[in-house]
Amino acid sequence: MNDFATILVVDDEPGILSSCEVALTRSGHKVDTASSAEEAVTRIRQEKYDAIVTDLKMPRLSGMDLLRIVKEEKPETDVIMITGYGTIQTAVEAMKLGAFDYISKPFTPNELRSVVTRAIERRRLTREERAKARRTRVAFEYVMPDDLYYLPEHSWARMITEDVAEAGIDDVFQKTIGVVNRIELPSIGAEVEQGSTFAQVYGAGGKVYKLWSPVGGRVVEVNNLLTEDSSVLNTDPYRKGWIVRIQSSDLRKDLANLIDGDALIHWWVKREIVERKTSKYVKVNVLDPEFKHDIAKEPGGENIKVCFACGICTASCPIREIDSRYNPRKIIRMALLGMKERVIGSDFIWLCSSCYICTERCPQGVKFTEVINAIKNIAVKEGHVHPSFVAQMDILAKNSRLYPIDDFDNRKRESLGLPKLSTGEGSAGEICRASGLLDIVKRKN
Amino acid sequence: MRYALFLGCTAPTKSRNYELATREVARVLGIELVDLPDFECCGFPLKSVHHESHLLMAARNLMVAEREELDVCVLCSACTGTLTEVNRQLAHNDVLREQVVSKLGGGKGEYVFGSAIAVKHVVRILYENVGLDTLRSKIQKPASAITVAAHYGCHYLRPSEIYDDCEDPEDPHSLDELIEVTGAKSVRYSERERCCGAGVLAIDEEIALSLAQKKLEDVRSSGAHAMVLMCPFCGVMYDENQARIEARSDATYNLPVLYYPQLLGIALGIDPKSLGFRLNRVKADKFLERVI
Repeated sequence: MNDFATILVVDDEPGILSSCEVALTRSGHKVDTASSAEEAVTRIRQEKYDAIVTDLKMPRLSGMDLLRIVKEEKPETDVIMITGYGTIQTAVEAMKLGAFDYISKPFTPNELRSVVTRAIERRRLTREERAKARRTRVAFEYVMPDDLYYLPEHSWARMITEDVAEAGIDDVFQKTIGVVNRIELPSIGAEVEQGSTFAQVYGAGGKVYKLWSPVGGRVVEVNNLLTEDSSVLNTDPYRKGWIVRIQSSDLRKDLANLIDGDALIHWWVKREIVERKTSKYVKVNVLDPEFKHDIAKEPGGENIKVCFACGICTASCPIREIDSRYNPRKIIRMALLGMKERVIGSDFIWLCSSCYICTERCPQGVKFTEVINAIKNIAVKEGHVHPSFVAQMDILAKNSRLYPIDDFDNRKRESLGLPKLSTGEGSAGEICRASGLLDIVKRKN
Repeated sequence: MRYALFLGCTAPTKSRNYELATREVARVLGIELVDLPDFECCGFPLKSVHHESHLLMAARNLMVAEREELDVCVLCSACTGTLTEVNRQLAHNDVLREQVVSKLGGGKGEYVFGSAIAVKHVVRILYENVGLDTLRSKIQKPASAITVAAHYGCHYLRPSEIYDDCEDPEDPHSLDELIEVTGAKSVRYSERERCCGAGVLAIDEEIALSLAQKKLEDVRSSGAHAMVLMCPFCGVMYDENQARIEARSDATYNLPVLYYPQLLGIALGIDPKSLGFRLNRVKADKFLERVI
């Protein structure tokens, strides 16, 4: 898919079918139409489409049925749902099944073109990122903090009090719309429904993108910072880039319709596998969501959860220049995803040289050198110790020095006019015994 | 000026030239360095595998210095970082301090840490406590015929927060200024902040030597007559391992690697024999001929 795509439009209403065809053809896309899901299934088995725009409600096979078939047979094809209901339950279900986005009837040609453009843009980004990953060996991911509730690839909600939630756009959405030139915020006091438009943003070329509200209720606060500087949506979509605060009559019910952070990780992993991108993740069933919390409890690991995966750590790492096994961003993402066994049982965690360049350069203040130390401390507690460290700990405990001093060394020192140094165990052995470190060494030996 | 001399593990066995030169320079500058036999490993090697043991070992050394009421002069940058960091942590965290002191057999409120003792790298002492003007006034033999490349290493500067951001960790200047005080020219070269690789030497020798070689290449390209550094572990990588790096790649560097006190010592007029030059693995004879 380049800037122009091959698109199949599916709707049982001839008027909508025709208007979609005209709108998309005028944008330069090649458009086929189908007046039923059955006809669409026949077409997708004969032709390769970049995207399918389908009505949700059709007789016999529905849009949801078509979505399931497309995701089964052509998982790389983006599906955009047209819904006359605009209910979040239907939309979230479609998105859980892999729909790219949805548009609510009635919609303008521009709205249709914007959502198709976003699908094209996401494909372009994915393609570019893959090429970059091959070139630089830096894996890419979208960032999804785990303390939020998501309408996947679109918006998020954060519970502030029992009845007030904050809402914004997620990382996938912000990356696919590109630079935000302007945002139109709702008025304070405005009522929004879950799944309806709560704001709209203007991107390059005057493209308009509607934002679906992740929760319903009354708007009690808007983020005026965004009208002054809309680029915050691109640079910090989860914190400074919050858009509205909404008071909901039944917030917990609304949040239950969304996907929470930990579940989203599983959703993403599953989708990666569905879309045959298995190189990124492997064992879905061994994710440990507590791993990042365990790291955060260790000294120096506290900031791990604010990582935005910008990759500066990886780009700055001198070890990674030489050996791609050591990739700070990848390690931190694996840790956040909960891939505990993969991380602590790996060889690569031992490759940090403790140069602290990553720590100095991280814009989020993540002290990666300390994070990797925290990970290694956890690994050691669970019995994973690099053999060289076992040897070092053994020497230290017996000599209180990494390089033991013996009589020969002291004679040599004396011959140079240097003072003799103490030999033997000293205090280190006792410290290592009392802290339990020697037990670990013994077990490994 | 009076300091407890903290040698660490590497300097007294692998970099005795560094120790010799430091003691000689200190003597000439009137700095008294006191040897405390109770000093042991700073705890740095354990930080990444067992935080508590590392903390206790560092704290124990700090308590030794505090008992003697002596600030600490450190030769190794990793030891400097470890002792500085733990000194700060224990000074600012009352609960942790009491736990640690208790485990090490101390009484409640017996040790203060932090302001009670300063932990400083010997090069930082020369720069901040002795000062450039004093050094300049004592130069006997300016090393004006030579150009050297300063290698700051990692832990002398980073993490910068434990050193109160005393200089830009990406663009430091203290060692360059100290070099220029001797009359030598400090040349700029690319990737000055690059790590020597010692931290992974025991884990993956190939990576460590490759990393060290990158800097040797950069320094050679700069036209420097020698490299000047301040950490015994960096010395192991560039001096002790230089021949191995050459052998594995058919490259020839023959680049003398000096500890800063060796360079300063020459400029102060100290006999090179007293500065441990014969212990340098890459012989510095031609370099010395240029200077003396």
